[in-house]
Amino acid sequence: MHDVRRRYVIPGDKIAEGNFRPLMNVIKTGGALIATRIGIAESGRDGVKVIPLSGVYIPRVNDLVIGKIVDHSSLSWEVDINSCFSAHLPAQDVFGRDFSPARDDMGKHFAIGDMITARVMAFDRTRDPMLTVQDRDLGKVPRGELLHISATRVPRLIGKRGSMIQTIEQATQTRVLIGQNGIVVVTGRNPEGTMLAVKAIKMVEEEAHTANLTQRIKVLLNVPDTPQESAVSAPASDAKTEEMGSGMDDVEEELEVEGEK
Amino acid sequence: MTQTRNLIDENGKRTDGRTIDQMREVKITVGTVRNADGSAFIEFGKNKIVAAVYGPREVHPKHMALPDRCVLRCRYHMSPFSTDTRKNPAPSRREIEISKVMREALEPALMLEDYPRAAIDVFVEVLQSDGGSRCAGITAASVALADAGINMRDLVAACAAGKVDDQIVLDINDTEDKEGGADLPVAYMPRLEQVTLLQLDGKLSQEQFNECIDKAISGCKMVYDIQRQALMQKYFGNETELKEEVATQ
Amino acid sequence: MWDALAKGKRLDGRDFGEQRPLEIEPNVIKKANGSARVKLGYSEVIAGVKVSTGTPFEGLENKGALIVSAEVLPIASPHVEPGPPDEEVVELARVVDRGIRESEMIDLEQLVLVPGKIVYTIFVDCSVVNVDGNLFDATSYAVVAALLGAKLPILEMQDDKVVDTGNTRDMPITTVPVSITAARIGDYILTDPASEEEACMDARITITTNEEGLCAIQKGFTGSFTADQIKKAVDTARIKGQEVREKLRGLAK
Repeated sequence: MHDVRRRYVIPGDKIAEGNFRPLMNVIKTGGALIATRIGIAESGRDGVKVIPLSGVYIPRVNDLVIGKIVDHSSLSWEVDINSCFSAHLPAQDVFGRDFSPARDDMGKHFAIGDMITARVMAFDRTRDPMLTVQDRDLGKVPRGELLHISATRVPRLIGKRGSMIQTIEQATQTRVLIGQNGIVVVTGRNPEGTMLAVKAIKMVEEEAHTANLTQRIKVLLNVPDTPQESAVSAPASDAKTEEMGSGMDDVEEELEVEGEK
Repeated sequence: MTQTRNLIDENGKRTDGRTIDQMREVKITVGTVRNADGSAFIEFGKNKIVAAVYGPREVHPKHMALPDRCVLRCRYHMSPFSTDTRKNPAPSRREIEISKVMREALEPALMLEDYPRAAIDVFVEVLQSDGGSRCAGITAASVALADAGINMRDLVAACAAGKVDDQIVLDINDTEDKEGGADLPVAYMPRLEQVTLLQLDGKLSQEQFNECIDKAISGCKMVYDIQRQALMQKYFGNETELKEEVATQ
Repeated sequence: MWDALAKGKRLDGRDFGEQRPLEIEPNVIKKANGSARVKLGYSEVIAGVKVSTGTPFEGLENKGALIVSAEVLPIASPHVEPGPPDEEVVELARVVDRGIRESEMIDLEQLVLVPGKIVYTIFVDCSVVNVDGNLFDATSYAVVAALLGAKLPILEMQDDKVVDTGNTRDMPITTVPVSITAARIGDYILTDPASEEEACMDARITITTNEEGLCAIQKGFTGSFTADQIKKAVDTARIKGQEVREKLRGLAK
């Protein structure tokens, strides 16, 4: 148990002073820790960070992303991941070490226009992000409704331990794939359910920062309100818990700030 | 230029009724351009200006990309209907210069090293102009950059001061700009206490200059409060006060 | 460079407030009404004055027109490409123009032929021949020197036509504006930056003064200044400006 201070900040705001470690979206100048983005500043024992509420997607290693194949060379596919950085998926990742362009046809495996789920393997200042599809549930994405939401809204859409997205899925009989980069794919058996899910997702995006959002989503989906909302936990085998991996901390914090417990 | 007529009356009222230390009314709305990554609309007196930010995004043409930091491009442009006489839509030399000083005013606040090989484009469009449009434009652009989630060390707030009837006044309007004694637009990073834009047109003694720059900076601080309020309003709704919480985990 | 600065000296041995050697050669272009070639260190600018007639500026019907422009020639540096002026050159021309205009160096009210319709139009065009830092001051000095030594053809109206009487007079000069530019590198403010200093400067400020005080300032480049640094730079510019003013007055005649 440790104390965590939370505050709304804009760029330039001083969050704390002294021997704290600057974490994401925080810089340390002259002994003061300054926020560099609009968001919720958190100072705790590990350090000081700002959970951003706006901004385009900047890849982080281990993020699960959904991207579109836009081109391929003889050695890799170029993938659009809705960022200012273009990602690539090496052919070796799919075909293995003894990959040969003559024998293995890249276009047959992933064609231009295909949507894939992948994980960011490597990314630093000197080179563009590298992806992998070597994991269960990674690879080609089933056809469905495609949505672009702001990457900063993804934790809210997933919800605490997947609660928000599961509420939407169960109420609309759909399966929703969410990439940390803000790309969402909704697949459902009936069109009304799919469209309702899309509506709910858009509502989460627009109103992510407001209180009682979960209530309003439930009203939209015609779901009865249950008191123990936060107790919902996802089964370990569900791919979604993996997607939540990197967003988990953000999720808990955002929910608590809204006063939902 | 030397003034030809009195612009402040015996009661200390200026051509628009303000006192010498009064700023015009400023209103900022955040996020007005849906397609942009960040945007802001500002009304600064009768100035109406929209700023939109796209980025960080890929650089086109590719050869303009820098290996270790982001490229920042700014365009200040006045719509043909924005001034008393119609303005030719082609970029004038004045707009080219203002685009440059605007970029140089915003760059010190941005952490461009965080986005290597990318570009940030800032577009400032003056829809109605009434003196001090470059200050209003910089103010709006700074809010739009924060709205876009670009990493910034501080906001940039801008305001002009000037000399009218031999007095140092805050925030000069169009008439005062054209007929007054001096015009000093200033852009300022309030937390870091750094001046990022400063231009002077007109005659000032050293003492008048010192008073003028101090007054402009105090104006910038007032503008900063409005910027902060506008951003808080959009992102944190009705809780516009700095909300501090202590929670135990 | 940092070592030198820490010891209070610049790479070329100058003090922080010291200008490079200034050479002024007046009347180099005989076909122009006035001209000057200025060398500030190795930066070299030639300015030429051409007097013509035209309509007055909107809102300034009882004054002659003064138009200052500048071009950096492709010969001036390996980095200059031929073509329309880029934003740096536009800024240079406008800052120099403002310095001259706001100082009211030329008494434009004496240059009216038919009020509201026909006035003298003074064109001052500058060609930058070699780039070696601080084009703002070099160009400004060239314009001032060219105007100081210029001969104004005396024109008059005859039957609604402008006629050259064949006589000339000196330009109606009221004051001599002097531009002083400084660069900030770290916490050091250096007057008259040479090109190596401009290559690593954080910010730049150009301050133009006349005998009474300031008339134009431009902060340039992508860094910032504190208010105190600017106030101090203004003070330095006034004092240094007076020295250069004497030089300009003396050399241009």
